[in-house]
Amino acid sequence: MKFQLTDEQRALQEAVRDYLGDRFGQKQVRELYESPESDGIPEGLWKAIGEQGWLAVMVPEEHDGIGLGLLDAAVIARAFGAGTVPGPWLGTVLVGEAVRLAGSPDQQAKWLPRIASGQVKGAVALLKPGTQDQPVATVSGGSLSGDLGLVEYAAQADVLVVSAADGLYLVDPAAAAITPHEVLDRTTRLASVTLDGAAGEKLTAGNPLAELVDRAAVLVANDLTGIARKALSDTVEYDKTRVQFGKPVGSFQAIKHDLADIHLAVTMAEHAGFYAAHAQDIDAPDKTLAASIAKAKAGDTASAATSAMIQYHGGIGYTWEHDAHFYLKRAKRLEYAFGDATQHRERIASIAL
Amino acid sequence: MDLTFSKEDEDFRSEFRSWLDTNLPAQMRTVDWWRPKSEAEQFQIRRDWEAKKAAAGFCGIQWPTEYGGRGGSPTMKAIYDEEMAKAHAPRTVNPLGLAFLGPTVMAIGTDDQKRDIIKPLLHTETIWCQGFSEPGAGSDLAALQMKAEPQGDSYVLNGQKIWTTNAMHGDKIFTLARTSSPDGGKRHAGISMLLVDMRQPGVEARPLKQMTGESEFGEVFFTDALCPQTEVLGGEGNGWMTAMLLLSFERGSSAIGQYTEFKGQWDAVVDVAKQVDRGSGKAVEDPVLRQKLANSLIELECLKYHSWHVLTQTSQGKDLGFEASMTKIMWSETFRKVSDTYEAVLGTGYQVPDPQPGLSLEELTTMSLWSRSCTIWGGSQQVQRSIVAERVLGLPR
Repeated sequence: MKFQLTDEQRALQEAVRDYLGDRFGQKQVRELYESPESDGIPEGLWKAIGEQGWLAVMVPEEHDGIGLGLLDAAVIARAFGAGTVPGPWLGTVLVGEAVRLAGSPDQQAKWLPRIASGQVKGAVALLKPGTQDQPVATVSGGSLSGDLGLVEYAAQADVLVVSAADGLYLVDPAAAAITPHEVLDRTTRLASVTLDGAAGEKLTAGNPLAELVDRAAVLVANDLTGIARKALSDTVEYDKTRVQFGKPVGSFQAIKHDLADIHLAVTMAEHAGFYAAHAQDIDAPDKTLAASIAKAKAGDTASAATSAMIQYHGGIGYTWEHDAHFYLKRAKRLEYAFGDATQHRERIASIAL
Repeated sequence: MDLTFSKEDEDFRSEFRSWLDTNLPAQMRTVDWWRPKSEAEQFQIRRDWEAKKAAAGFCGIQWPTEYGGRGGSPTMKAIYDEEMAKAHAPRTVNPLGLAFLGPTVMAIGTDDQKRDIIKPLLHTETIWCQGFSEPGAGSDLAALQMKAEPQGDSYVLNGQKIWTTNAMHGDKIFTLARTSSPDGGKRHAGISMLLVDMRQPGVEARPLKQMTGESEFGEVFFTDALCPQTEVLGGEGNGWMTAMLLLSFERGSSAIGQYTEFKGQWDAVVDVAKQVDRGSGKAVEDPVLRQKLANSLIELECLKYHSWHVLTQTSQGKDLGFEASMTKIMWSETFRKVSDTYEAVLGTGYQVPDPQPGLSLEELTTMSLWSRSCTIWGGSQQVQRSIVAERVLGLPR
């Protein structure tokens, strides 16, 4: 019985944290917040993400990857959440997973090495907006059409993975109509994407949409727990020293009891996030349930923790100058990605009742 | 991650399960069999059954063999808890003795105390009560007033204890009393932990009727009761330290037994929800109730993951310290959520034991009321939150 990371996984966690601590901290995130017109992919960071193998983690070794599991990727996702790390890491990893799960040997050989190195940036449009299991595009005569909704890093990606009823397709972004938006969470880029008879290359070895969406939900859940933990620990540190009525505000029970509850919720969300990743890796009988539990718990918890961060910083927490809004805005985005808590609870009900 | 148990652990599971299959009759696993029996009768049956289980070697799973325990690992204890809950086995008649007194005596008891206390406790020859709370000392334990004045070789005890589990069945009580006056306002000084015989004229136990209608706890009155001066645990005047050590033994608990029990109750609630008519359909079809049912399952599964976490830590010999308060908050809140969901599923039907043909709700309703005590006893939720905030998060007092 070992419900804990291996030494290697802990080393990976440390490596990501150390890199972010040294090279890409809140100062760099703030620079991004001040330059909404940029592509949202800091060059040095993206290069490092490729060099460190953080995109290669689930790519099989035969395709120049590291061949590890979703739990290893979840470790990275959590650290990226805590660091509000920008860039198309998630989209690229998910394109890799789509190709790994459903690509032909030729498709894998063509795409996976370039995904592993970061040479190719990916984006995914998997779910019809508002649904948890409906594909986004329709296929007619081999070409794809549909409103794909808001797609993360669509305007910067080299390749899109788009779902249709009969499977997943690789689509060249040049064949799509892409309209970038201003985004609240400036650690990402979002664009409206529509396809109108666009050419697509079908991934020919099966249709793993449900599995891919679960994997996406698990990675997002871990990003959210990273956000929640950081929001909580920063708030605890602030409330230890902020004095009002002659005492640190963290000594007041109205605040400390809420923070204790959030600590408990974050701890549970962390357990659920890692277990869900492990459950996918070992193909556990409850892996679908576990994915929904992780996403629902992480969404609710990150929402509570980032709200508390602003509330328990007082007025300073509401300012642009303070980092608190970075966490809130990222949490609000991810809370609704790949199914929100309400949708996942309904899914849990449909599985378990 | 490796969520499997070792072969040795699984062998133990099979052995214990087959013992339960043989020695826990099917009827004893149903409420209908227990219901017509008086509380005293029920207690005696549980006591005898537990003695039989102990005689077969299934007691003190983690306690050293030299004290009559099984010398097992934390994972074996978790498996034991899990199998007991799955089998609907009777709850122990010595909960406080097993959780608290036994480990404390093993740690700091005299040789005589170890010999006299541990084995009889495991074999239910002695039923131990805990005498901590008083009418004026609940969450604020150090406000306790009971006096123990030295007289010859004994202490003479006067005072009152309350919320005493098994008060009506207790043979002995480990209790906190003031053996000397508080030293210059230091409330924690002058307290001793005494091991008092309850079968004496100066000790009177009275039942307290709980909101479930049952009386599993009571009050204990001490009127010139006697306790030999040798019967102090941890030394005279060290009672506060002894009590803190004693309460720390709850920290190793993985809560896997609670998970198993509450998950069984959740399954029963789902079963009820499939039968109960609510408005346009069955409760289980109602979108809002589905959210509640799912939410309590989320908390249950998180409790299971947390149990694995605790078990992983304790198996590696790590002390959870004040994180144990998180386990207590988590399991008791989860229990409350399952109960809240149950009440919501039934609506007005919650008020009666048989709201529609085929439903028999007494056990679940008692469970839902009982869950309300679990966020109070053993340190209320509010006390636990302060502990988590101050001792785990490091927020100022």
